[in-house]
Amino acid sequence: MAESHDHVSCSEVVELVTDYLERSLPPDEAALFEQHLNFCDGCAWYVDQIRTTVETVGRIDPEEVPPEVRSQLLTAFRDWKRS
Amino acid sequence: MPEAPLKERTASAEELELLARLRAGDERAFEALVDRHYGTMLAVARTYVRSRAVAEEVVQEAWLGVLKGLDGFEARSSLATWIMRIVVNIAKTRGVREARSVPFASLAPEGEAAVERERFRGSGDAFPGHWRAYPANWNRVPEDVLHERDTLRVAMDAIAKLPPAQRTVITMRDVQGCGPDEVCAALEVSDGNQRVLLHRARSRVRAALERHFDG
Repeated sequence: MAESHDHVSCSEVVELVTDYLERSLPPDEAALFEQHLNFCDGCAWYVDQIRTTVETVGRIDPEEVPPEVRSQLLTAFRDWKRS
Repeated sequence: MPEAPLKERTASAEELELLARLRAGDERAFEALVDRHYGTMLAVARTYVRSRAVAEEVVQEAWLGVLKGLDGFEARSSLATWIMRIVVNIAKTRGVREARSVPFASLAPEGEAAVERERFRGSGDAFPGHWRAYPANWNRVPEDVLHERDTLRVAMDAIAKLPPAQRTVITMRDVQGCGPDEVCAALEVSDGNQRVLLHRARSRVRAALERHFDG
């Protein structure tokens, strides 16, 4: 739990970062969070690391549909169409 | 009479158009639907059943359920959310047969820190909760290192090692690009809980990348 409500500490920033990026922080907390990033390079870099993490994970190829599954499903779709 | 506002997103215009084409028997539309949702469905199924083989069966069965329900689907939820619910229902039945405990045993072990507590100054310090040493500035990591195959491999391995619910959430949100409402439907959790899971997952993958970059 936060010890005071007029600032956030670095150890709180690393726990609030997802709520911040998902825009789920209440406006007053979001303001404190941004204020902190303005004067703390460590936390600004940390938030940047999380953003880079999200971008990296976003480059992973989604699972592809195996060809035999695709043809089975298409058969099922044709059967469904006929029924 | 105006409808009460729904918390849940209803089917988008794009989905309604796809739905019309599906109902008309358009195979291309069906293939597009399969391509879009297959990976997500598999990830969701794997949250509930132990083996990949069974998860694949669940997904196949779910597609049959989708076809069966297609004409009756009323678009009160998004198409994606509706499909995920079908997967969950089938996966749960199979999951019980496979006697796997509820996946949320793995949900958010209390007090798991995003970053090791030792990396912050203690309460006796003049700046409690402040970094002892700053994390690295990854803007200085060369682009080609950020983009190399090894980096992607580190992220994939870290995701594979996550507890099932966290793995599902990060796969859905950050690999497949699903919205939070689809995750909530797939895991039957609140929006707050899907964010907690996403937070844990991203934090762990970040830590793995940090070990990779900083050596």
